[in-house]
Amino acid sequence: MKKINRREFIQLSALASGGLLVIGVAPSEGGEQKIVNLSANGGQSLNQFISIGADNHVILYNHRPEMGQGTFESMPMILAEELEVDINNVEIRPSEANESLYGSQMVVGSRSVQSEFMILRKMGAAARTMLVAAAAQKWSVPETECAAKAGMVVHESGMQVTYGELVEVASKMKAPENPKLKDPKSFTIIGRSTRRQDIPVKTNGKAIFGIDVKVPGMKYACIEHCPVWLGKIGSYDKNAALKVSGVTHVEVTQRTVWGRKVDAVAVLGDNYWSAMQGKKALNIQWDANGLDGISSATIMSQFREEAKKPGEILHSVGDAESVFQKGGTLVEASYELPYQAHVPMEPMNVVVNMTENAAEFWGSTQHPNGVRTFLSTKYGIPRENVRINYTFMGGGFGRRSMTDVVEEAADLSLKVNAPVKLIWPREEDQTQGPFRNCSLNVCRAVLNGDGSIEALEHKIVTQEINNQTGDNNKAGRQIMGGVTTEYQIPNMTVRGVLQKLHIPISYWRAVYHSTNPFAHESFIDELSVKAGKDPLEFRMSMMQNHERYNRLLNETMRITNWKSGKKPGTGRGVALVERSGAHFVMVVEVQKKEGMIRPVKVTTVIDVGTCVNPDTVKAQVEGSVIMGLGAVYAGLTVNNGRITEQNFDRYPILKFNQCPEIETHILESTGAPDGAGEAGLPTIAPAFANAIFDLTGRRIRRLPMTQEDLKA
Amino acid sequence: MASIQVRINGEMRAMEVDPQMPLLWAIRDFAGLTGTKFGCGIGQCGACTVHLDGVAVKSCTLPVSVVQGKSITTIEGLSADHSHPLQQAWIEEQVPQCGYCQSGQIMTAAALLKKNPHPSDKEVSNAMSGVYCRCGTYPRIRKAITKAITLSKS
Repeated sequence: MKKINRREFIQLSALASGGLLVIGVAPSEGGEQKIVNLSANGGQSLNQFISIGADNHVILYNHRPEMGQGTFESMPMILAEELEVDINNVEIRPSEANESLYGSQMVVGSRSVQSEFMILRKMGAAARTMLVAAAAQKWSVPETECAAKAGMVVHESGMQVTYGELVEVASKMKAPENPKLKDPKSFTIIGRSTRRQDIPVKTNGKAIFGIDVKVPGMKYACIEHCPVWLGKIGSYDKNAALKVSGVTHVEVTQRTVWGRKVDAVAVLGDNYWSAMQGKKALNIQWDANGLDGISSATIMSQFREEAKKPGEILHSVGDAESVFQKGGTLVEASYELPYQAHVPMEPMNVVVNMTENAAEFWGSTQHPNGVRTFLSTKYGIPRENVRINYTFMGGGFGRRSMTDVVEEAADLSLKVNAPVKLIWPREEDQTQGPFRNCSLNVCRAVLNGDGSIEALEHKIVTQEINNQTGDNNKAGRQIMGGVTTEYQIPNMTVRGVLQKLHIPISYWRAVYHSTNPFAHESFIDELSVKAGKDPLEFRMSMMQNHERYNRLLNETMRITNWKSGKKPGTGRGVALVERSGAHFVMVVEVQKKEGMIRPVKVTTVIDVGTCVNPDTVKAQVEGSVIMGLGAVYAGLTVNNGRITEQNFDRYPILKFNQCPEIETHILESTGAPDGAGEAGLPTIAPAFANAIFDLTGRRIRRLPMTQEDLKA
Repeated sequence: MASIQVRINGEMRAMEVDPQMPLLWAIRDFAGLTGTKFGCGIGQCGACTVHLDGVAVKSCTLPVSVVQGKSITTIEGLSADHSHPLQQAWIEEQVPQCGYCQSGQIMTAAALLKKNPHPSDKEVSNAMSGVYCRCGTYPRIRKAITKAITLSKS
């Protein structure tokens, strides 16, 4: 993928366009992006972000696929702020997929607002500057006497003119290279909760997701993979499947997962039910390929053995090793986490049509240009002949950043010479992975006489997403995500012991932040207990010099009335984490209810820098807390080389009646925007476990928590 | 194959389908109404919830032959213009994130309020716990149902 290093404005053309002002970003040599006036080609260019018609109709384009995170509204909000238009009075459309025009359109790691904030502001400002100049020209007054406001340019004398009336003149102008940006103090859209335009269509069945796409001549495909990863196809009854009414084809196909080929058998038909029935009739006998001896128990015992190795030093301050050799008050604890599946509510699916020297894709993807690159590279099709139509996604959580399902569908499309809609049954989604990694975290520390931490070591034994095959057995820094290094601890080491298994892993919401903080923030809590300190004050004592955490911890103390003590029958736990720049402190309150310990209230105090749409940020916190709580209660188990929990009956995600009250406080900030979509997930497990300890004295060091762990 | 007659959103339809085909796939692939979603195929997650003669049912496990001659309402038939109090409340409370499960959420809530216009918190919890949401919109769903009850009164 092309890297966008620098973006600037240039003039593309100054020809008249018939009354339409179109502002966008154009590529230049070296892959840099430049803002341009695209009006010359009638606004038909692929890379438009802003389009204003002579009828005053404003269209803003969102170039970041929507999977629930709210970019559909937040991207245009940034444009609208600088453009000075009413965000509730513009039309929002998804842009085309084209990385040479839009830069990366991949939606991962809570990056969109962070990475696009400045370029979108500049584009909005460029259009506003041109419109103001057009008005000044029209009135023959200095531009300094004119100002843009709510879709109009107003002169200090009171004269005013709509943008629509100015576009003909503005469309002939050069886009300014360095438009003046607004003072953030005068923002009227950024920082104010705004209703999302994608929501109404998500209440009446009109929103189109990948699974809803229908193209002429399309075949529906259902698929089965070996329940044991890297197993081989033994025998199957092709004729039985073909006898099912509506079934037209049975084909073998393959996908590539981190360099490894995975076989599957697909049944295609005229409707999905026929394909599903055909799949059942196949009666596939799989050859486990000798890989069915592995289980969660064998994996964890391997990890425990491996934990005896020193591993690689991934982070080091001072000299923790010498402190441990000297001795002192040693505290040790190990924490275990299971594999998890992504399970977006929309099962994995795509529509692909492969034709002579061309390909077309429709569907839910977090990485539309990755799909283009894949199809172009694998099948030798010119990039411009690969058409990508991305839709709303029914959740992603990292799973939809991959192209493995596209590969299967493309192969099937070539084999049956028709467009193919491939839908994975839920069982395939849940058992095939790639999964969130499982891990063993071994922590030890030495406390000083005053209870402060003299040395801390956190050793992580796990697989690494970026290094799953090959001969390099050294752990990389990727696996230490979420280990808090900001605490003022004089001697601290983070070690990694890389594990290589044939079970595939991948990016899951918050990635390694979804595992390591459970261990790290539980261990900090254990140390506070050993030191006889209040867990929140203990953390504050180590964050005095960290401006953002210090402020957050103080605010948390105030908001939760921490010092006035807990309510009777309640336990309180605290945890903190930084993810994608966003800093979170969370307090969980637990109570005994109906024989179980339950979280009743989750209070999160967050610093996410400049917040574009506060209501969306709050929704993301609620969502990540709920997904994280689901991962406290459920995990995947490997038995005989396969996943036991095949569907929601065995792997329940959090339900409505398990949901605690969730309160989110966003601290004011003028800093650059951070990514707010994930940090709530890492914080909930340790904060919850710490609260259970506070209530019961029971320390839980393994996820998922069992019924026994949660018994009141 | 059999000819199944079913009223969907007030319109009588005849479909030539396998009588064992779950109603979900008849609605999606044959009636062409894609607002009703496939989530699990085992009647567990509720993304496929529709009304059968006014009662919420999970359409992914219900053979289409069972609905012969009956009346089905899908999300598309709840109201054409978001005028149903639940749809209004869903927008006011900004409930959906990805939106995929929301048809099932709204149809489940609509059936509940039809039967029981003033449910207790516990009754809401019981009814709504059969519809899963991976994005975690539950707190807003609760608020929206409370709001819809108020909107219905006024």
